[in-house]
Formats: sequence, C-alpha cells, structure tokens
Amino acid sequence: MNKKLHELREEYKNIPIPVELDKLVTEALHEKPKKKRFVWPMTSVAAATVFVASVNLSPAAADTLSKIPGVKELVEVVTFEEVHDGKGTTKIDVATPKVSGLENQTLENNINADYQATTEKLYQEYKQQKGHFAVASDYKTITDHHGILSIEQTILHVQASGYEQKRYVTLDTKNEALITLPSLFKDTSYIEVISEEIIRQMHAQMKADDNKIYFVNPEQEPVDVFKSIHKNQQFYINDKGKLVISFDEYDVAPGYMGAVQFVIPTKVIQSILVGDRYIR
Amino acid sequence: MTKRHDIRAQFVACVTDYKDDFYRLAYSYVKNQQDALDIVQDAIQKGLQALERLEKMDSMKSWFYKIVVRTAIDFLRKHKRVTVMDDDTLDYLQSGAEDHYEDIDLHEALERLPIEYRTIIVLRYFEDLKIDAIAEIVDENVNTVKTRLYRGLKLLRIEITEGTVHE
Repeated sequence: MNKKLHELREEYKNIPIPVELDKLVTEALHEKPKKKRFVWPMTSVAAATVFVASVNLSPAAADTLSKIPGVKELVEVVTFEEVHDGKGTTKIDVATPKVSGLENQTLENNINADYQATTEKLYQEYKQQKGHFAVASDYKTITDHHGILSIEQTILHVQASGYEQKRYVTLDTKNEALITLPSLFKDTSYIEVISEEIIRQMHAQMKADDNKIYFVNPEQEPVDVFKSIHKNQQFYINDKGKLVISFDEYDVAPGYMGAVQFVIPTKVIQSILVGDRYIR
Repeated sequence: MTKRHDIRAQFVACVTDYKDDFYRLAYSYVKNQQDALDIVQDAIQKGLQALERLEKMDSMKSWFYKIVVRTAIDFLRKHKRVTVMDDDTLDYLQSGAEDHYEDIDLHEALERLPIEYRTIIVLRYFEDLKIDAIAEIVDENVNTVKTRLYRGLKLLRIEITEGTVHE
C-alpha cells in the first residue's frame, strides 16, 4: 500500500475504543426491537382459577355433546375489540381475542372475561403512565388441529427496555375443555421430568451455539438459575401434537433471547401421560 | 430454533465481533466519542428492526456497515455538519489542489474531503472492503465508486498506480 495511505490507515486504526463501547453494544443488542408487539398479564393465580372451573365442567360437557353430533358450531377465535391510543410518548395497541362457538357457555364466558379483563388492566396501566411507555398485545392461533385449539397471546411492555410475556389457552374443541398442564399427567412427577429435560436442552443448545445463553449454570450466574418449571407453567400443544413449554422474557435467559420455548419430546413424558389423545 | 432466531443470533455475533470496526467507522465521521457511541447504538437498534423484515443476506458485516454509514451521515445532516458537493465543485478544487494545499497535512486533507469520497476511501483502505461491497454499501454502481476513489486519492495527492484503485 502507498505510504501516505498507510499512514492514514494507521491513524484510523489507532482511534481509541472507549471502555463504554462493550457495555453499550451488549445492551443495545439485548433490547427487543421497538416494534409493534403484544401483551397479556394474567397472573398465574387468575389463570389457575379458570383452569379449575373448566376442567371440572368438562366431563359433563363432553357427555352432552357426544349425544348431539354435528350440531356444534365451529369453535374459533375472533377479535373482540381493538384499542389503539397514543398521547405524546405513551402508546397502547391491544387486540382482545374472543373465543366463540363453544357450547359450553361457562367456559367460553370465563375465557372471554379474562381476555377482556386483561385489556382493561393494560388500558389502566397505560392511562396512569407518564413519560415513555408503550404497551401492546396481540394474539394468534398457533394450533387448530385434531380437536386442539391453542391460542397464544403476547404482551409487551416497553419502558426503556421491553418485557415480553406469552400466555396460552389450549382447548379441547371436541370435548370443550380447557387443557391444563397438570391435567395432562397422571401425577405431579411431570414437574421434575420436564424440568430435567429443559435443563438438558439448555446445556445442549449453549454447547452448540455460543450466542445462546440460559440461566442454568450456578457457577456462572450471579442471579437465580433455572431449577424447575411452575406446576402451571405456560405451555401449548403444537400442530404435531408435541408439548411446548414457554417462558417469559428474562425468566430463564437474558433479554435478547426473548420469550423462549422448549419442545418436549413425547418419549420423555410418555410413561406419565394420562393418555395419548392430546400429546403424541 | 427458527430461521429468524438464526439471523438474529448471526447479527448479535457479527456486531459483537466487529464492534471496534463499526465504532471506528462511526468515529471517522463525527470525531468525538459520545456521538460515535450514539451512532453505534442507533445503528444497532435500526439493525434489529430491519432484521425482522430481512429475507436473506449475503454478508451480515457489509449490511451492517451500510447501516452505520447511513446513520452517521444522517447524524451529520441533522447537525448540519455536512455539505453535499457536486462533481463540478470538486473538479475545481481538484485543479487547485496542488497549489493551495501544499502545507496541510494528510490527515487534514482527508477530513476536508467531501463525505461521499471520504466514505469510500475509509471503507476501501481502512476497512479493507472490496469495491463491489462498497458499491453495495453506498448504493452506487461499481464505476461511480472507482471514479470517486480515484478522485478522492487525487485530492489527497496520493500517487495513483493502477493497483491502488483496483483490486
């Protein structure tokens, strides 16, 4: 290279790198893109209440329905209402889902009431906020297959950085029952079996890809590491009939990993499943 | 994991690996640490957003260089620190270069170059990018890039041999 150019190049390459760069880059990379997203802050206690009610109702509903074949409306999810508002630096974009077509009105009303309560809660949160704040919520049907309907609701709170949550409702549309995680298994041993499988997958993924980090190594993480799923951990059943366990952003991994999910191989849980109707 | 996750992981790896390069490039425009850091941060945010729409890409690094260059030039425009110079003005300057800029040092001469020319010199000789990658980054065709590189070097009164501009 030309000598003068070489001098200029040297000068350029000697531009000092500030110590802050490292931290700034890491933080910027771990922020979720400031893009329209969604939210759903139903507490697990509230969720549990609905689950219990519907599970108790389901056997009766199943019986009634089996006697009147073909009269059932198609069970579907529609948008009940949308809320869009913004003032200055605060913003809300929420789409409220509504389940329709269930014969079991109690179940349908319970689910829909919860969805509406969530929207109301998000709206109140939005109204009280000053400064930079955005909340968004949306939903989609991720499985509608073999009589299983899984609805995913994603909720995002953005205040400086974002916090993403995912909430699932999984319905047995043939028997009109809400499927809960405990209801899939014979006993509570599933908590340990699934947790072990997830820890195994976390290690395997980190080994295969340096960019992936899970809070799983006690010697490397200053904070709590993942030990066990909650008995009502968020889950859904995918269109291949596999159980998928979901975690909110920051729960088990740094923010840049987002809300993370683990597909549990059926052979791992086969022996403790109640039956093979839902999970295959 | 999905393809989307792969691209995102690739992006995180690329920015992390080459952050010093991206920072220096940003710094070469604004000449101060705070602004350069702001540009890097801003460029990462833009990159993350654009990533969601991205279908495929040949080189993650070139792609992000493009974002850094655009973010830096936008920054300068906003702060009115840049003037766009047309080729005629440049021809005029170039004709007088030998006479008037005897005494200024090389460093200063580079700073005085119009931004379109400086960008190309920096990318070619300091960041070691190929002409076609640069053409992609600055959204110009290969010939325009070569012309600007040639003119830029001439303005710096750097002796040009065939090998200097081309590969």
